[in-house]
Amino acid sequence: MPLGAGMKAPSHLAGEDQSAWRLGRWAAAAPAFAVPLCLILAPIALFLAYSFFSVDHGNVVYSPTIANYVRFFTDPIFLPIFWQTLLLCLAVAILCVLFAYPVAYFLTSLRGRRRYVLLVLLLVPLLMSYVIKIYAVRSILGGNGMLNRTLLALGVIDKPLMLFVFNLNAVLLTLTVLLIPFAVLPIFLSLERVPRALRHASADLGASQAQTFWRITFPLSFPGVASAMSFVFVLAIGDFLTPQMVGGQSGFTFGRIIYSQFGMAYNWPFGAALSVILAAVVILAISLGGRFGRRGERT
Amino acid sequence: MTWVRRLAPHPAHGPSCLTFHLATRRQRRSYSSHCFTGVTMAEPGILLRLRSVSKSYGSTPILYDVNLDVRDGEFLTILGPSGSGKTTILRLIGGFTTPSGGQILLDGTNIAAMPINRRPFNTVFQDYALFPHLTVQANVAYGLAVRGTSAAEIRRRVTDALELVQLGPLGERYPAQLSGGQRQRVALARAIICRPRLILLDEPLAALDVELRRQMQSFLKSVQTEIRTAFLFVTHDQEEAIAMADRICVMSAGRIQQIGSPHEVYYRPSCEFVARFFGENNLLPGRLGPLGGAIRSLETKLGVLRCSVEEHSEMATAPAGSAAFAVCRPEAIQFGENARGENRVEVRVGQVSFGGASTMIVAHPIAHPAQALRMLLPSRSDGASLAAGDSATFTFAADQCRLVPA
Repeated sequence: MPLGAGMKAPSHLAGEDQSAWRLGRWAAAAPAFAVPLCLILAPIALFLAYSFFSVDHGNVVYSPTIANYVRFFTDPIFLPIFWQTLLLCLAVAILCVLFAYPVAYFLTSLRGRRRYVLLVLLLVPLLMSYVIKIYAVRSILGGNGMLNRTLLALGVIDKPLMLFVFNLNAVLLTLTVLLIPFAVLPIFLSLERVPRALRHASADLGASQAQTFWRITFPLSFPGVASAMSFVFVLAIGDFLTPQMVGGQSGFTFGRIIYSQFGMAYNWPFGAALSVILAAVVILAISLGGRFGRRGERT
Repeated sequence: MTWVRRLAPHPAHGPSCLTFHLATRRQRRSYSSHCFTGVTMAEPGILLRLRSVSKSYGSTPILYDVNLDVRDGEFLTILGPSGSGKTTILRLIGGFTTPSGGQILLDGTNIAAMPINRRPFNTVFQDYALFPHLTVQANVAYGLAVRGTSAAEIRRRVTDALELVQLGPLGERYPAQLSGGQRQRVALARAIICRPRLILLDEPLAALDVELRRQMQSFLKSVQTEIRTAFLFVTHDQEEAIAMADRICVMSAGRIQQIGSPHEVYYRPSCEFVARFFGENNLLPGRLGPLGGAIRSLETKLGVLRCSVEEHSEMATAPAGSAAFAVCRPEAIQFGENARGENRVEVRVGQVSFGGASTMIVAHPIAHPAQALRMLLPSRSDGASLAAGDSATFTFAADQCRLVPA
């Protein structure tokens, strides 16, 4: 509903004055619509348009074609990477939730100030530069990184492991580490909203703590889990910087392909088409998260 | 009625009652090890006994030395203003908090430290605390489901319980789709389905409007009579307590002031607080006359009043000259030529308020006009009554006049 549409014109104004009043109201609201229109909708529309153009010897040909989409679905390179990226981001989302849930649960079990101090501490990494964080993780995972050196020093391995160096595993781990705070927050909020009286009622009816968790607390925090998963998934799938920096040659993701279309390949229309496909996936993920998120709420 | 037979908490009936007894024995084994008190003989007829129970949060005392027995099958109401500690007693029995001192004895065993989920009590919470993500059926079945009862048994008992609370057709709904009164019934069904030995109700009617509240009062009472399970009902509403309870425990400032039948606490208050707590009452301050007999005199500014006392009671043995109140209900005061009674007070009528079935007259004794004396009269259709400014003689009998310490 547009801004102010619920407001009624003052009844003491006669016909003509009323329509003038209404016009003035629209004029006042216009900037509020203009900003998202110009800064968000217009660029997206432009991308959508570009995705139907093509490139000939470095020049964009402005005649509509669906060649870009056909290429995506028929070329043997893109679809496998697309599926692989979806799988990777799903894994990241699941890992993040698995790590974040106990943390959020622990936070809600704290009382008073300590709870929020700890929560803020957990969210501090969000304020740091993304690139610095990636470098930090890289220095832990690298061939001569902290992880390998520790394992060597402990005698667990006798030569540096290459399992987590410049490949998809490294991308998976890095994304998980970087995105955990985004998962903690919604899960914490949904856990906090489960009334203590319900846990009391459950215990009162004879349930053990484990039964109370699985039958009451977990189902009621499910909206948080769903939105945490869709958050993390969307952030991970749109990321091209992390795979670029820790993925090496084998850690190729959909985000990197799009990036290369706008850079090295210099094929904006194809890049735009891939972006549109990515946007469709993101919209789907968000709406799925929203749908499952609502399922638990019946009050 | 088959339902009654199945629900009655008696060891001879049904497998789940048996479970309770097994559980109790198990608890006894595990608790006697770390509970200091051993097993003492349980008294017949007494379900639960609170012995010198106290509770404080930090340095703030909430309950002082509470001694209370809950009898088998009774409707016991704990009544008190907010902050009197009544809900704390309920929470202590339910296991939501532990006492700072004293014992809670169930079958002679101290259960003060027993976890909530192992106590054979169920609670109807103030805001119902229904599980929002479960249907009415699943809510009611919850207590059985967590105990691993068979699906067929659960289905049968859920159907019975929903029928008892008259919610049969609403089993598939979610709590958010129910009205306040219906939620209340679901909470009750959920609490009774496990056949607890005691049902704790924490101001369950507080959220309902007056009309629904009255309906639910008689409904609760009828359910209680039908399943013959003890109810411990907490409320701050005097009328509600009087209408429903077998016994009322009046609390104030963390202490029990009086325990007795509704009739007793209404007509025979044991202290000033209880005397003032139930509706408007006359409390006339004075000093006790000499000892002796079933009737003691109290010297007041309206003259010497004669009041009945029970033998050996506190007021029968209090020394002469102690401060006390004479307590006389407004409806016990009469006026006119035919009125009989040991106490007569000349008054001037101040205010007359017609209240439907009865008329309240506030009068001031000639001897001490600062004191107000209330009289409640049945209203008459011809409107005949006293009028403001009239002089009259108020009369009340000694056995209608009680003494409480000041």
